Amino acid sequence: MQNRVIIGIFTICCAMAALLLAIILAEPVAGSGGMPHPTIPGMMNGGDGAARLAEIGWFAFLFQCLLLLLIVALAALGVAQQHHGLKLYTLLFLSYLFTLFIWWQMYFGHLHFLETGETGYFLGFPVATAWQMYGTWIGAIPLVLIYVLGFKTFIHSDEDEQVYQALLKQYGAK
Amino acid sequence: MEAYRQEIIIGAVLIYFVFCVLTGIWAMRRTHSSSDFFVAGRGLGPIVVSLALFSSTLSGFGFVGGPGLVYSTGVSSFWMIVISSTGYALGFFLVAKRIRMMASLRNCISLPDIAAARYGSESVRFLLAVTIVLGVMGYLATQILAMALVMQAILTGTEMFANIGLVSCVIISSAVLIFYCVTGGIIASVYTDVVQGALMMIAGVLILFAAISVFDGGMQEATAIILADDAEAIMPYGTMGIMASLGWFFVFGLGLAGQPHLVTKMMMNKNIADNRTILPMSLLGYVLAALLWVSIGVVMRAAVIAGVSEPLALPDDAAAVFLAAFANPILAGIVFAGLFAAIMSTADAFLNIGAAAIIHDIPKAVRGKSLENELFWARIVTVLMAVVAAGFALYSHYQDATLVALLGAFGWATFAAGIFPVIAIGLNWKGATAMGAIVAIVASLLINFIVQLAAIPIPYGISGGLLAFVASLVLFIGISLCTNDRKLDKDIDALMNI
Repeated sequence: MQNRVIIGIFTICCAMAALLLAIILAEPVAGSGGMPHPTIPGMMNGGDGAARLAEIGWFAFLFQCLLLLLIVALAALGVAQQHHGLKLYTLLFLSYLFTLFIWWQMYFGHLHFLETGETGYFLGFPVATAWQMYGTWIGAIPLVLIYVLGFKTFIHSDEDEQVYQALLKQYGAK
Repeated sequence: MEAYRQEIIIGAVLIYFVFCVLTGIWAMRRTHSSSDFFVAGRGLGPIVVSLALFSSTLSGFGFVGGPGLVYSTGVSSFWMIVISSTGYALGFFLVAKRIRMMASLRNCISLPDIAAARYGSESVRFLLAVTIVLGVMGYLATQILAMALVMQAILTGTEMFANIGLVSCVIISSAVLIFYCVTGGIIASVYTDVVQGALMMIAGVLILFAAISVFDGGMQEATAIILADDAEAIMPYGTMGIMASLGWFFVFGLGLAGQPHLVTKMMMNKNIADNRTILPMSLLGYVLAALLWVSIGVVMRAAVIAGVSEPLALPDDAAAVFLAAFANPILAGIVFAGLFAAIMSTADAFLNIGAAAIIHDIPKAVRGKSLENELFWARIVTVLMAVVAAGFALYSHYQDATLVALLGAFGWATFAAGIFPVIAIGLNWKGATAMGAIVAIVASLLINFIVQLAAIPIPYGISGGLLAFVASLVLFIGISLCTNDRKLDKDIDALMNI
C-alpha cells in the first residue's frame, strides 16, 4: 500500500508540474502579478481580476485541487502500514472533500464578484475572502482531529510503543 | 500615560532583555553536553515544546514583514499564515513521531544526523548541512538587522539616545543575543520561547481589538475602503494574483515540515505521546499570534487609502506606525517586547542549528567524526556566526542590499524545497534513496539560486521557490524509484515499520 501511496503522490506532483508549465507558457497578461498603486508609493494594486484569470483560471483551479489531494496523500504516507484501512481512507477522503468545498466556495465566490461587482461580508471580510481567511484555516482541522483523536488508532498505538521500546532495548542509543 | 510612551516601551523591552540574560545564566547551569546544547537533552514537556514550536515559526518577519506585506500586497500574504493548520498537521503526520524515535535510537542531535542515519550517506549529511548554513546566514542577518532597526526607532524617540546610530544598535542587540545563546544554548531558547509565545498570543488578541476600533464600522469598514480603492487587493488572491497566492500555500504549507529550526524541536519532547497535545496547542498559539499580522496590515492599508494616516515611507513601517498612532502605550510596550522576543527566539534557533551543522555535521561528513569537545566549539561558532551575520546585516544595509536578499532567498523556500522531500517523505518511505536525496537538494539549491541571481521573471507571479519545490519532489521520488540503493540498516528498517 505504501508504494501505491507514493506512486499516487508522484503522479500528483507530475500533474502539478505540467500545470505549472502550462501556466508559464500561457498568454501573459499585463499586471498579472500586481502593479504599483497609482497614487500611494509602496502599495500595490491588483487591477482587472477577470483579465488575470482569463488565461489561467482553470489551470490554477485544478492546481489547487491537486495540491489539496497531495496533502491528504502525504498524510496517508505518514501513517504506518499497519494502521491503514477503510476507516482511515474514509476519514482522509472526507477531509479532502471538506477542503475542496472551501476552495470551491472561495474560487467561485470570487468569480461571482467579478461578474456582478457585488459582495456580502462575513466577520469583516468580503464573502470570498472570508472563505479564504477563515475557511482555509478551518479546512485542515479534520486532519488535526484525525491526528489528535485518532492518535492511538492511527499514529502511535500502545503496541507501537511496545515495539519501539523493544527496539531501543535491542539496539540501544548508538 | 501618553506622555511617557517611549519610557514605557523602553521599560518593557529592557525587562525582556534582563529576562533573556537571566534565562541564559540559568540555562547554562543545565547545559552539560552538546546534546543539552542542541536538543535540550530530549526532555521537554508538551507546553514548552508547543510554545517553542509556534513562536519559532513567527519570527521578526511575522511581526514586521507580515503587516508590511498586507499593507503592500493586500490579501496575498494571508496565504502564508492561513495554511498554518495544514502545515502543522502535515508536519506532525510526517515528521514528529519518526524524527523523535530516530533521535533516540541513533542519539541524533541535528537534522543532518537524522538524514545520515536514514540514508546511511555522508554525502546527504554534508549537503543538508551546507543547505542549512546557507539558509541560516540569510535568515540571521535579516533578523539582526530587523532587531537593530526597531531598537533604533524606539531609542531615537528619546532625548538621551536621539542620535544613536544603527551600528550601535546592531552591537547592543547582537551582544544580548550572543550572551543568551552562548550561555544557555537551546535550553535558554525554548524557555524564552515560553514567555515569547505567551507575549505573542496576548499581543495578537489585544492588537485585534485595537485594530477593530480604528474605524467606527470595525474591520468591515476597513475592508470596504480597500475594496472601493482596488477590489483585487481585498479579494482572495490579493494584488499578486492567484498563482503567487497558491505558491505561498504550497511553499509555506508543505514547507513547514522542511524547516530545520522547527522540525529539530520535534526531537526535543520527552514522550512521543505528547505529540497529540503539542499539535493543537502550537496551532492555537500560532492562530492567536497571527491576528497581529492580518489586523495591522488591513487597517494600515485602509487608513492610508482613507487619508486617516500618511503613506508609509516603507511598508515594513506598518506595525511601528500603527502602534504609535492607534495603540495604548502599554500595549505598544507589550508588542515591542514581543517583537524582540520573536526575533531573538528565531535567531537563537537558527544560531543553534547553524552551529550544529558547522561543528558537528560538516566535520562528521568530511572526516568521519565530529570535533572534540563539541560544547566548547558550539559556543565559539555561535559567537562567530552571530558576528558574521551582524556584519552581513550592516553591509547589506549600507552597501549592497542584494547580498542578504540573496542569502535570504535560500531561507524558507530553500529549506522547504531541499529538506521536505528528504526528511518528510524519506522518513516514511523505505524506497527513498540517497541518490534521490542528493539530486533533490542540489536541484532545489540551483533553481532557487539561479532564479534569484539572474532575476528571472516568471509569469503570473509564480515564485522560484514553488518551481524548486515541485521539481525537487518530482526528482526525489522519480530518481528514488529508478535507483537501487543499499539495504536499510536493520534498526532503521524496523523503526520505519512502527
